Amino acid sequence: MVSQYGIKLATYLISFSYGDFCSKVCECLLSRGSLTLAQIIRFTELSRENVINCLRVLIHQNCVQAFSIQQEVAFGEAPKIVTQYTALFDNMIHKMRFPKFMQIVSKELGEDCLGIFEGLLQHGRLSLNQIIDRNKQTPDNSDVHVVRETFSRLLNARFVERCPAPEPFLAPHEEETPAKKRGTKSAKIAEAPKTIEQRALAAAAPMESIRFLMEIDTLTGTSEEKGMESQNIAMLDEKWKQDFSDAELSASGKKKEILWRVNFEEFMRRLRHKACMEYVIARLSDQSGIVLSAILELTRSSETRLKTDKSASLSINDIYDEVIKKDGGLGMDFERIRASLVQLGCQIPTTGIDETYSIDLKNIVELAQNEEVESVVLKRYGREAYRIFRLLSKSGRLLETDKISDTTFVEKKDTLKILYKLWKDGYLHMEKVSVNGPKQTLFLLWEMNKEPLWLRVLDEMYHAALNLRLRITYELDQEKEILQLPKEKLIGELEKRYKRLGKVRIILETSLMNLDDALMLFRDF
Amino acid sequence: MSRSLETSSLKRKRPEVDPLGLVDAERAILNAIKNKKDLGIWVRDIKQETKLTDHVVNKSLKSLLARKLIKEVVNIQYKGKKHYMAVEFEPSKEVSGGVWYVDGNLDKELVNVMKQLCLRCIRVQKVATLERVHEHLKKQQVVNFEISSQHVSDILNSMVLDNEIIEVKSTGLGAYYSIPIGTVCYRFDSSPAVAKGSKLGAFASIPCGACPRISLCTPDGVISPSTCVYYTKWLNIDF
Repeated sequence: MVSQYGIKLATYLISFSYGDFCSKVCECLLSRGSLTLAQIIRFTELSRENVINCLRVLIHQNCVQAFSIQQEVAFGEAPKIVTQYTALFDNMIHKMRFPKFMQIVSKELGEDCLGIFEGLLQHGRLSLNQIIDRNKQTPDNSDVHVVRETFSRLLNARFVERCPAPEPFLAPHEEETPAKKRGTKSAKIAEAPKTIEQRALAAAAPMESIRFLMEIDTLTGTSEEKGMESQNIAMLDEKWKQDFSDAELSASGKKKEILWRVNFEEFMRRLRHKACMEYVIARLSDQSGIVLSAILELTRSSETRLKTDKSASLSINDIYDEVIKKDGGLGMDFERIRASLVQLGCQIPTTGIDETYSIDLKNIVELAQNEEVESVVLKRYGREAYRIFRLLSKSGRLLETDKISDTTFVEKKDTLKILYKLWKDGYLHMEKVSVNGPKQTLFLLWEMNKEPLWLRVLDEMYHAALNLRLRITYELDQEKEILQLPKEKLIGELEKRYKRLGKVRIILETSLMNLDDALMLFRDF
Repeated sequence: MSRSLETSSLKRKRPEVDPLGLVDAERAILNAIKNKKDLGIWVRDIKQETKLTDHVVNKSLKSLLARKLIKEVVNIQYKGKKHYMAVEFEPSKEVSGGVWYVDGNLDKELVNVMKQLCLRCIRVQKVATLERVHEHLKKQQVVNFEISSQHVSDILNSMVLDNEIIEVKSTGLGAYYSIPIGTVCYRFDSSPAVAKGSKLGAFASIPCGACPRISLCTPDGVISPSTCVYYTKWLNIDF
């Protein structure tokens, strides 16, 4: 489940782009889980038409996914198929990251690709024909072949993918009770390895083989999707078919064409790699950064999941070949590469026959996360608390008060005070152990309270991101008059205010972008 | 006859034989204290062991203190409780807290001086193992006690926790050339992230990261991002 401020930030972003009705629907879906149309109407108290329109927008913007399931009915009745809608929280938050995605595309593929990519970001889903049409409207339009060529470059880089199926049917699971309303009961089911939402997303995702395939889309792709489509529709309840799926079908555009959308997963992968590299360069050395970037470059295409724990194994020769292509990598020899690999946590094999290496990316991400939380502790509780917290975070086990005090050079009395404060605020976990000897002694043992703490920090970061957004809006609102004035009138005091606003915006926006890096570190990496 | 005389004289003589001239109660208390050696003993425990009254114990302790046979020590674990120890013993590490403690208080001055010395040593050498820092400190002779490798390790560990130095494993290359591969050593890093002591995270560098009132802050509440004083202060810097 998404945390409280995560929901608030997501609904703010949706309301900013698509208005209050959409954000109301989002909030309802995010806080209550998957719902049917009737339930959304009841909970949001919006009119049926409004809700349908909102869902159309949100599906089109990849913020909501529909799926149909068989509903449990009383004995003797025919099984009923209902359509449910689930909110895609991460895709909503990604809206904040569009500038970052655009930067990656422009750096890697250039400006022409950026034009098409921007259109996809803005419209959510587009068919190739729509993309070509859009291009025609631009002043410096290019030939259809060029557009197709540019698009296929985006596709080859995996920046763009086929849209998922509009409404996959989930066959009733034997072990799983069919999810009816997602109340307190089904919240427990949600903890199972695969929730109904995850199953729906997996069912909707296009097959890996056609996900990035453009050429044969007119032949096999459509027929297959069409097949699935008709199968789904046939199974839908009559009533639903009449009043909603029709509406939705027409909404998602011409079904005969393949729709394309931005592949967020690929961007998150690249940003994850970038974050790992930045951490390594800051903490270890530039050379280790070069080696890591070479390894990630080589193994990226083989990563199937976003959160890959370890990079694929590579031989030292492959790594060397890639390293010397990098800036500053030309001077590296095998010895230096091996040294960097050791710094990156690899073990040099004792037998030289099969010298392969794999990097523990999860460990790097965890170290970066620790650093983020530690600096919050430093800011909020001071240097001594920082030292204590780092000790506990590094040791990863229970430690006794005196031991902590001795290792960190903090007075025993102060140690206990700091530990107590951190424990009260949920940073630590405490255990009491009493020893029955000649005298009864009570020992207090402390440990970092990692999982709940991480969730809390993440929620606070969502809160902070929302605050930064709100402050930007507030600052712009305050200086509305100045922004409307023509530039030549901005003199004296007005000019000063205008300049101040510019600086304030830069501070707030850079802080938001940096904070967003930290958000991804905790949520997506 | 002679035999009975002998015994009686012995019996009578005994108190005077005591070279220190202690009475029974005092001797019992002194023995109880001496038995604890360098750990010292708490007044209440003395009372319990000797089964003497409060008054007698207090009086005897005073007299023993006056004769300089025992001394009062501060026990780091129980600072409020009076502990006594025989003069011939030095408080053990458990009682005194070790070399880093003076009269039951952490000797912050000493710790800081040691940190500075270690840092200087590592900065000069760029990379140093525990042994090298230990050697360096021994040569300098800055402290009045025999500095052990454990002491140096304590200091270095706390500096690692403070992010002033980094614990690394030698790669045998560059600055590490003289250190066997895999040996734990300490590195001083002059990169901006480390020079500041620690890198400030993205969250900690905005007011919300350090805000003690974040749980009370809501978009339209009394505390809100648009009325936040921390924000105003932050954004008005440099203007």
